[in-house]
Amino acid sequence: MALRAQFENNNEIGVFAKLTNAYCLVGIGGSENFYSIFEGELGETVPVVHVSLAGLRIIGRMCVGNKHGLLVPNSTLDTELQHIRNALPDTVKVQRVEERLSALGNVIACNDYVALVHPDLDRETEEIIADTLKVEVFRQTIASNVLVGSYCVLSNQGGLVHPNTTIVDQDELSSLLQVPLVAGTVNRGSEVVGAGLVVNDWCAFAGMDTTSTEMTVIESVFRLNDAAPSNITSDMRASLIESMS
Amino acid sequence: MSMYNFKKIAVVPTAKDFIDIILSKTQRKTPTVVHKQYKITRIRAFYMRKVKFSQQSFHDRLTQILTEFPKLDDVHPFYADLMNVLYDKDHYKLALGQINTARHLIDNVSKDYVRLLKYGDSLYRCKQLKRAALGRMATIMKRQGSNLTYLEQVRQHLARLPSIDPYTRTIIICGFPNVGKSSFINKITRADVEVQPYAFTTKSLYIGHTDYKYLRWQVIDTPGILDHSLEERNVIEMQAVTALAHLRACILYFLDLSEQCGHGLDEQVKLFESIKPLFANKPLIIVANKCDIIKLNELSEEKRASLKSLEEDKEITMLEMSALDDTGVMEVKTEACEKLLSFRVDQKMRTKKVDGVLNRLHVAVPKQRDEIVRPPCIPESVLAKRANKKRKLEREIELEEGDDYVLDLKKHYVDIPEEERHDIIPEIWEGHNIADYIDPEIFEKLAELEKDEEIREETGMYVVPKMELDETMQEIKKLALQIRHKKAIMKDEARINKQSRKPVMPRTAGAKVFICFIIKKLFL
Repeated sequence: MALRAQFENNNEIGVFAKLTNAYCLVGIGGSENFYSIFEGELGETVPVVHVSLAGLRIIGRMCVGNKHGLLVPNSTLDTELQHIRNALPDTVKVQRVEERLSALGNVIACNDYVALVHPDLDRETEEIIADTLKVEVFRQTIASNVLVGSYCVLSNQGGLVHPNTTIVDQDELSSLLQVPLVAGTVNRGSEVVGAGLVVNDWCAFAGMDTTSTEMTVIESVFRLNDAAPSNITSDMRASLIESMS
Repeated sequence: MSMYNFKKIAVVPTAKDFIDIILSKTQRKTPTVVHKQYKITRIRAFYMRKVKFSQQSFHDRLTQILTEFPKLDDVHPFYADLMNVLYDKDHYKLALGQINTARHLIDNVSKDYVRLLKYGDSLYRCKQLKRAALGRMATIMKRQGSNLTYLEQVRQHLARLPSIDPYTRTIIICGFPNVGKSSFINKITRADVEVQPYAFTTKSLYIGHTDYKYLRWQVIDTPGILDHSLEERNVIEMQAVTALAHLRACILYFLDLSEQCGHGLDEQVKLFESIKPLFANKPLIIVANKCDIIKLNELSEEKRASLKSLEEDKEITMLEMSALDDTGVMEVKTEACEKLLSFRVDQKMRTKKVDGVLNRLHVAVPKQRDEIVRPPCIPESVLAKRANKKRKLEREIELEEGDDYVLDLKKHYVDIPEEERHDIIPEIWEGHNIADYIDPEIFEKLAELEKDEEIREETGMYVVPKMELDETMQEIKKLALQIRHKKAIMKDEARINKQSRKPVMPRTAGAKVFICFIIKKLFL
């Protein structure tokens, strides 16, 4: 199931939300329209929680997490941390990280098993990631961008990476992550896929500008409907070539 | 798309308006007060400024016209040709050329008079020079009158042209007049082209958009074409030819099998053969329309023979369709889109354009690097929901029950228990709504009342007290009875005595008669 959403007229919804298999964090906005899109889709299965980090609502870029845990930056206030701990189930470990690159969402991309991190990340942070999120950690770049979290979206079933990622890089990353990968865009050609898309194993939310072609690619690669990722190279090939060149 | 938007060209005023606009602008935007006792340099500067200002205004306005109108050499050949057909290329170029010349002339006039103004020795002279300068500029503009009106007409027509993007995925519909081209475009898009049972209903190009495979497709409806040589074609037909010649599109050639359009099948095939050069290197489908009247295999032998050349050609697909009852409409659209799509993809694959996106057509499949299984983690509830999605739909129930199916509106009233869900409400009995007469607490109220009653009975409220009279009272009672009898008798007697046999006249009636009498007397 893939849906389109908008945060206060802004299509970069990945900035304002963090979606994992065990919980969903949503920034506190002026109205509940955005929150309720998530609430309606996920409310019965996982906790959907209003969260601010260091008084900011750009939580999707500031924290990183999966079903095992959640890492928040050092600037997170104590009350906020307490709120998160109260709201999330006990199986999710919440950990504050002292890291110079404090936008954790931009520098780390992970699913429940593997994480890609910025090459300059602290060694200690790397260990915390491995322990808290229970993942294997790889220092990588995506299409020679160090901000792996911004240019890549992962679930346990697939991944979407920066549109300029070469085929060789894609294959290499795919073997590291052990999920099928596709290079693509969201929000009518935006290459910052991390900002335009949040995804877990059974649903995805993309910015309102996302075209139907992009939506179909997302649904195929993350296996959100019956289509398999191979669909992209077979059925959709002609449409993709037509729409992209 | 925005490349060919001719809607933003500014209005071209007529020569008279043009001059009025500029002169009043000069009047408004330059100083107006000058006196002859001013120093001569100041007077000269005053008039020079006026001349220069009006020259600049003319120049700007003309330049705007020249830049805004599309240059025939710069636009896509389709538009260039279309404009040639509609407005005559020579006339158009000439008009713009003359506007350009006028602009130069005005510049020169201004230059000359500014030079002369330098030698003006009095206010009067300077003023006359200015007058002459503006007058000459106005004359030059007046001569452009016909060009300006022509350009205004062109502008109005250009703004109404359909915004056809010559580079995008396009399907062109063509054929004889009245074969059903417009009906088809109305079926697959929302173009809403007029359809009438006479030839040349469609007099210009119409455009509609349709969706297929996540892409937007442009469908162009062309006016009908008759079978004669290019020189004999009129403007209406030429528009169709222009579209066919310049747009790299999928061509749908419409045939009318029933020949109701007034042209025989052999004629239609002949036209096809004669405009075939226009279809070279383009995907082509022949659509046999109006198959609700006659099917392809029901055609007589000789008609069949005329189609033979088309059927034998391996590169041509022929499809049957009826825009009237919708048979084959979607098949034609799908086939056209598929053909064009694969054609365009093939072409693109040959160029280097696709290299940039090849990486995006690749799905990187992971190589197994260890034995760890990494299953997705989807909660049970989501899986259950997915599996449960196959709820029995109303449609399926309808199909199952067939004619016995009755839409049950009350089925989903989950708050009401199953056995009461279908009760009829309001229930009417002898014209009364039963609900109005039901008091849910009636039995309690009744019980309460009965209880009160019982208490009252027990306290002896209803026992009649016994009365015993003494002697005097009994006597008084007897006497009272006698008096009452006597009174009644007296009353009766009085009534009998009072009766008289004479008619009785009411007092009011007597009075009226008397008044009438008096009135009559008065008038007599």
